[in-house]
Amino acid sequence: MTARHTDAGDAPRNAGYYHLSKAVLYREYLIFVRYPANAIGGIIVALFFFGVLFYGGQMVAGQALTDSIEGIIVGYFLWTLSVGAYSSISNDIGSEVQWGTLERHVMTPFGFAPVALLKGVAKIVRTFITSTIILAVMIGITGTTLELHLFTIVVIATLSIVSVLGLGLAAGGVTVLYKQIGNWLNLLQFGFIVLISAPAFDLGWLQFLPLAHGSALLQRAMIDGIRLWEFTPAEIALLVGVAAGYLVLGYAVFQYATRRARRLGVLGDY
Amino acid sequence: MIESVSEVSDGVGRSVPDSRNVAVAVDGLSKRFGDGEEAITAVNDVTFGIETGSIVGLLGPNGAGKTTLIKSILGMVLPDEGTVQIRGIDVYDRPREAYAYVDAMLEGARNDYWRLTVRENLRYFATISGVDPDSVSERHDRLLAQLGLTEKADVPVRELSRGMKQKVSLASVLAGGAEILFLDEPTLGLDIESSRTLQRELRRLVEEEGLTVILSSHGMDVVETVCDRVLIMSDGTVIADDTVDALLQGTDRHTIEIASSGLTGRIVSKLRTRFDTLSVEQLEPGARIELTTDSDGLYELMDRLRAEDVPLEHVRTVEPDLEDVFVGMTSLESGDR
Repeated sequence: MTARHTDAGDAPRNAGYYHLSKAVLYREYLIFVRYPANAIGGIIVALFFFGVLFYGGQMVAGQALTDSIEGIIVGYFLWTLSVGAYSSISNDIGSEVQWGTLERHVMTPFGFAPVALLKGVAKIVRTFITSTIILAVMIGITGTTLELHLFTIVVIATLSIVSVLGLGLAAGGVTVLYKQIGNWLNLLQFGFIVLISAPAFDLGWLQFLPLAHGSALLQRAMIDGIRLWEFTPAEIALLVGVAAGYLVLGYAVFQYATRRARRLGVLGDY
Repeated sequence: MIESVSEVSDGVGRSVPDSRNVAVAVDGLSKRFGDGEEAITAVNDVTFGIETGSIVGLLGPNGAGKTTLIKSILGMVLPDEGTVQIRGIDVYDRPREAYAYVDAMLEGARNDYWRLTVRENLRYFATISGVDPDSVSERHDRLLAQLGLTEKADVPVRELSRGMKQKVSLASVLAGGAEILFLDEPTLGLDIESSRTLQRELRRLVEEEGLTVILSSHGMDVVETVCDRVLIMSDGTVIADDTVDALLQGTDRHTIEIASSGLTGRIVSKLRTRFDTLSVEQLEPGARIELTTDSDGLYELMDRLRAEDVPLEHVRTVEPDLEDVFVGMTSLESGDR
C-alpha cells in the first residue's frame, strides 16, 4: 500500500487495517482516560434524565410505570447506545474540521470512508462502556431484575445500532457538505425514541426502520431471557438485513456527499 | 539547483511535463466556483511538473488560487478540467494509491491532535498514512531530535507554544516517510531561529533523502532561501515558473533610494501618486524616499526630478530580491502600476 522513502535505521512496513483499527481505538482510549470529564458528564446527564423519567413517572403513573420499568430501562439503554453511535461520526467529522485534521483523514491510502467508519466503531466501543454503567445504575436505583446474557445482548445491541451508524454516516456526509447543519441533525436522535418504542405499536412495516426490530429483540432478550440462538432465523436475518441495509445506504450517502463537497471545494472548510 | 523540469510536446503544440523523474505532473488544471456571471475562475489552465528531489515554492497574493491549486492537486477539490498525476498515478482515478506517496500540512499548527502527546501524534499519523508506526520509531526519535522536540515528546500538544505546535505539525507530516510533501505556510508563527532550523531541515530532507516539497508561503525570504524553483500565481494562472536566480536576473524592477534637500512635501506627494513608494523619511531640509519601479519608470523618475530641479545628493539602488520580483509581476498582472 505504501510507497515511502527510507533512511538510516528505518525499515518501514505497511500498515494494514489491523494497525489502523488499533491506532483509532487507542486514540479513543487515550482521550477517554485522559479527559474523563466528557464521558462522566454524559453519564450524569443521561442518569439525570432517567431519574426525572422514573421518579416523575412514578408520581404521575404510579404502579403503571413500575409494571413497565423493565421495558423502559432496556429502551433507555438502547437509546443511549444509539445516540452515541449516531453522533459519533457526524460529530467527529465536525470536530475534525474544526481541528484542521479532516484533510489528513481524507488523504489516507486507506480511504476516508473506511477511516470514518472505524472512528465511528471506536466511539461505539466507548459508548458501550458508558451505556453499561448507565444500565447498571438504572437497575440499581429501580431495583429491577433483567436477564443479562452478555453474548446475546452484545450481538443484538450491536446489530441494532449498526443501522444507526449508517444514519450517522449519512449525517456525517451531510455535515461535510453543510458544516453548520451538523448541530441540527443531532435533533434527529430524539426520533430514535419513537423507533425504539415501535414494537409497542405492533406495526409490521416499522420493523424495517432502524432500531425498531432490534429493540423488540433486545426487549425479549433482556426481559424474557431469550438467548440469541432461540430467535428464529427470519428474525435474525431481518436484524442483519436492516443493519446492513442502512449501513450501505449511509455509506453511499457519505461517499456522494464527500464527492460533492470536493466538487464544490468545501471539504474541510469551516 | 534544478533549472526546470524538462518538457515534451503533447502533440498539439503545448508543453507538458516529461513523466520521467516527475513527482507531480499537473496538466491543464482549471477550477471555477459558482455559475453564470458570478462564476469565479480560481485556477485557470495550469500546467507544470515538479521534479523529484526538489523544493518548489508557490507564491501569489491572497486570492491568486494557491490554496485551490494545492487542494486540487491533492484531490480535496475536484477540478472542472485537467489531470494531476503523482508519481504517474492519476489522483482522481486512483486517489488511495496516489496518497501513499504524499502527506500535507495544510492547516499549520492546526494539523494534529492537541489532546495527544507529540509522540502519540507521530504514531497516529504514521499509521493513517499507511505505515506501521513500530517500524519507524527510530525515525520518529530522529525527527524529534532534529526539530528540538525530544524533551516534549510525551507532552500533550495543547500545552506547547505556537512555534512548537508548528514543529509538531511538520514532524507528524514527516512521520510516515512520505516522498512528496505539501506544506502551506510551514514557518508561520515560528521565531527566526526555529524558522531557520526548519528551513535547514527541509533542505537536508530534500538533499539527503530525496524528498519533494511543494511549499506555499508569504515569507519571501523562506522561499528565496530554500526553494529550487518558484511558481508565481496571479488570478488563477501561473505567471512565472523559474529558478530564484533566473527570476532575479530577469526582473525589470528596480528599488531606488533618493535623498535630497530639494524633495519638498509637494514633490514627494506627486511621486507617491506615480510610483510604488516603500518609505519616506523627512529630513531637515528635504526628504529621503525609497520607491520601486521598472526601467521606463526609472527614466521618468529622473525626468521628473530634473524638471523639479531636485539635486541628486544621494542616490542608491537596491539589489532586487524575490519580493521585488513578486510585487513587480503581480502588480503588472493586475494592471496596477
